[in-house]
Amino acid sequence: MKSEILYPGAFPMVRVELAEGEHIKAESGAMVACSPTIDIESKMEGGFLGALSRKFLTGEKFFFQTLRASRGAGEVLLAPTVPGEIVVLELDGVSEYMVQKDGFLAGADGVTIDSQMQSMSRGLLGGEGFFILKMSGKGMLLLNSFGAVHKIELKPGQEYIVDNSHLVAWSTTTTYNIEKATSGWVASFTSGEGFVCRFRGPGLVFIQSRNPGGFGAWVRQFIPVTE
Amino acid sequence: MTEFHPNALCFGEEFPATGAPCLVHVEGHGLTVTVLSDADAGERRSESVPFSELTVSAGGLDHDQLVATWRGPTGQRTLYLKNPDVIRAFRQGAPDHLTIPLERAAEQVRQVRQRHRMVWSIVGGALLASVLGLWFGSDRLVELAVDRIPIEWERKLGESAYYDFLARQEVMKDGPAVTAVTEMTHRLTDPIPKNPYPFEITVVKSDVINAFALPGGYIVVFTGLMKKAESPEEVAGVLAHELNHVLQRHGLERIVKQLGFVAVVSIVLGNPPGLGGVMKQLGVELMTLKFGRAQEVEADLTGLQLLHRAKIDPSGMITFFQRLAEKDQGRVEWLSTHPMSSARADRLKVELADMPKQIPEPFTFDWTKVRATLGGHAGGSP
Ligand SMILES: [Zn+2]
Repeated sequence: MKSEILYPGAFPMVRVELAEGEHIKAESGAMVACSPTIDIESKMEGGFLGALSRKFLTGEKFFFQTLRASRGAGEVLLAPTVPGEIVVLELDGVSEYMVQKDGFLAGADGVTIDSQMQSMSRGLLGGEGFFILKMSGKGMLLLNSFGAVHKIELKPGQEYIVDNSHLVAWSTTTTYNIEKATSGWVASFTSGEGFVCRFRGPGLVFIQSRNPGGFGAWVRQFIPVTE
Repeated sequence: MTEFHPNALCFGEEFPATGAPCLVHVEGHGLTVTVLSDADAGERRSESVPFSELTVSAGGLDHDQLVATWRGPTGQRTLYLKNPDVIRAFRQGAPDHLTIPLERAAEQVRQVRQRHRMVWSIVGGALLASVLGLWFGSDRLVELAVDRIPIEWERKLGESAYYDFLARQEVMKDGPAVTAVTEMTHRLTDPIPKNPYPFEITVVKSDVINAFALPGGYIVVFTGLMKKAESPEEVAGVLAHELNHVLQRHGLERIVKQLGFVAVVSIVLGNPPGLGGVMKQLGVELMTLKFGRAQEVEADLTGLQLLHRAKIDPSGMITFFQRLAEKDQGRVEWLSTHPMSSARADRLKVELADMPKQIPEPFTFDWTKVRATLGGHAGGSP
């Protein structure tokens, strides 16, 4: 399986080449185009209950699509819904990532997707909801962001503070605490919660340069209110 | 050359921030950590660390990883172990000074997890209870929500529906019937302590045998119902019942129930403005509002008390209900929203028997004269 990001920047698309028999799981709706050798199956990852719980608890789409090169080698073109960068991560079997619900684009079949419950305070204050996706296993993982993706590398014990609405993904070797933002951190457009995550290394934290909630609020002010 | 199957991540100066995948073996003296020094060539480098040089703790996002640190030849090294087999081997092989803090950390993790599970089951249970509660019409929650709605809101809602309705009807502006109904209403409402509703009552010229109350205190009586009444006490009985639908805020309760969970939550959380638009649309539906059985019973019983307090003979209420039910039911509109059953009449009779006897005060008007102004008797032709 090989991947190439086309048109890097705000409106990228990713081309994934599949050998015969290979397949990739993609967020439903991510598929733009594909070779005629590719079959599209809607498969419920984690069984019916797993899919159902993802749907209701993370807001994630009910189905992932499985794109399978069952009738010969071929390629698929995938793109996210929102404008923003695509990041390719290679899971090595030991590294694991937590991914915020809108951050998943696609994963090789060796990648396992689990819905995970966060602790009470993280769920209540973190803004990503009580459930996030945990990616483990081996193979290619494609994440997408709103805006550009910025990678923060943390050494053991090193700390960094991130506005929770800008989080995309983070390694499970990191730990974090939710803290109430000091006044300077309160984002003017967010729902005004003003919570930040204090991450502690080692590991990676991927953040997005734009905040979807903030953007939504900005757009809403131009939509005439109907009584 | 065998394939490299890492089971841990190693962090250190020369490794990437993601950590280097490494293979950890637990041996008698300590750990052997193997990393790929050149991934393309498949070259590996191993490092042995005696237990005596290690410090261990629990770490990672869920505190479920075994973190071992030591000073390597090129600086501080941190190892994140997750593989259960390796962790088990480590616990078995490591000397006490390492395993004791580790067991303590593991115990802490277990406790934290247990606490999380408990909190989650409480939250889940509470959520389920409130959802189920609303599903089956938990009156407690509905009442809680209704209590938060100010009377002015209720009046605005009832008012628009009331005038919308009257605009399409032939309203009786004055005359003996209006005077009589006004007197009844005053008799009934004047003794109510701290009555927040300035009741408005309108007589509509129509052979429909009905009367209804809208939220906020707007009452409509049809001449058809008055023609059917053989005494003013019978009309007063229906009015007492309808007034209590208002006083007990039954209409509001129904609306809250119909709007469901979201509205209830937004009201309970103190966000009623969003409800304005919905309420406007609901105005039409108010006309067809059917109260619940419990609400009807409540209106009957409180209606009886209201009659008693107003010194109006309450037996009129019962006889009128019964007589309406005897005739062919299809033509009595009021009965479509107020099904008459023998249980209902019996309950009223029992309640009435328990009430202290008093001498009723008659009305100032002559009912036969009032009735005569209403035009031809129902059934006859004018
Ligand atoms: Zn009633």
